Amino acid sequence: MIYYLPTIESNQEGYERLAALAKETKELRASRLELDLSRVAILEANMSAPLGAVMARIADRFNAIEVVNVPERVERILRKNGFLTHYRYQPIEDEKSNAIPYRRLQPTDQRVFEEYLQQHLKGKGIPRMSEGMGKVFKKKIFEVFQNAVIHSDSKVGIFACGQFFPQKQKLDLTIADAGIGIRTNVRRVVGPKINSVEAIRWALKEGNTSKTGAQPGGLGLKLLHDFVSLNKGKIQIASRFGFYQFEGGEESFTKMTGDYPGTVVTIEVNTADTCAYRLKSEAPQGSIF
Amino acid sequence: MSNPIIVRVFDIVGGPLCVSADDGQRVYDKIAPLLRDGQRVDLSFEQVETLISAFLNAAIGQLYGEFTEDRIRELLAVRDMDPDDLPVLKRVVENAKAYFRDPERFKQATGKEDSDDTE
Repeated sequence: MIYYLPTIESNQEGYERLAALAKETKELRASRLELDLSRVAILEANMSAPLGAVMARIADRFNAIEVVNVPERVERILRKNGFLTHYRYQPIEDEKSNAIPYRRLQPTDQRVFEEYLQQHLKGKGIPRMSEGMGKVFKKKIFEVFQNAVIHSDSKVGIFACGQFFPQKQKLDLTIADAGIGIRTNVRRVVGPKINSVEAIRWALKEGNTSKTGAQPGGLGLKLLHDFVSLNKGKIQIASRFGFYQFEGGEESFTKMTGDYPGTVVTIEVNTADTCAYRLKSEAPQGSIF
Repeated sequence: MSNPIIVRVFDIVGGPLCVSADDGQRVYDKIAPLLRDGQRVDLSFEQVETLISAFLNAAIGQLYGEFTEDRIRELLAVRDMDPDDLPVLKRVVENAKAYFRDPERFKQATGKEDSDDTE
């Protein structure tokens, strides 16, 4: 089949359009997908991660995928960040090193992910941030990655991609999986009636976790939220029919028009921020337990 | 009371990166038997560079499922931890105490992906 991908920006509509791609190709098996990008005016680099996750699910059903008619400007971005090299395009050098390349990782690739962050966050505004903040930011990214490892049940891996915007002094990083979504996990705990939007709201609340068994959980998203709030950055979470955004102190929860098959977390950090980061609730070592 | 055994997280994990629940589980598997024996443990985070809540949930939070708060306070101490990580540990501990107050948590999760018509 031929599928004409529209413009994909890092917003609710962008995720809805990826959900539409997933829906239209759902029955495709042992066949061929021609993904035609001729109608794409913009494909924001970080959105390569959720696009890659959707495409990996399609390929996992024994389909051959070809990406065709890529507009020159879009092609340049997607070859620089390595996304198109997964679809038989040649890489091109990223002279300014503003891309945080597209990577498909397995849940056991913690150390590979560490090297990836070490290598590609360097020089992307992090020196402007206080050393402490750069460190905290890295930890939050690991929290998101670990959330995908623990909760997603993604059969095709975890996908990361980002972009640094030196003029705007911001850095976007997206981690996507092709798993079961927040909704399915939360339903296991609170029952089958909760929808995707309410499931995201539930998961963001302190003290709530969809984990069961011997290991407690449920802090990663709250710690991320605290950090982004202090940094005046942005978080987007798209999971199944749910979309959440936190920006400028305002939270919004919206139902999407389509079912994004998995969970995507995008963090936008304000790299001009030079504040030191330490959470308020410090405790002396002796009394911590 | 006997001197505490120093358990070095860096050596158990095999590096400075403490970011996975699996590695946290390995630390738990080392310290829980010592605590069961009534042995005091100093858990050292020397050389640990990156530490997150998912790791601490498995390594330390999980202890609250087996040991009482008093027993943990009596036997376990944390040392050489980056002061920036202490608030995260504190939240992990508080979160674990609340988690294990709810016995329903022990039930094993089951289920598969919901189909998209169940929204």
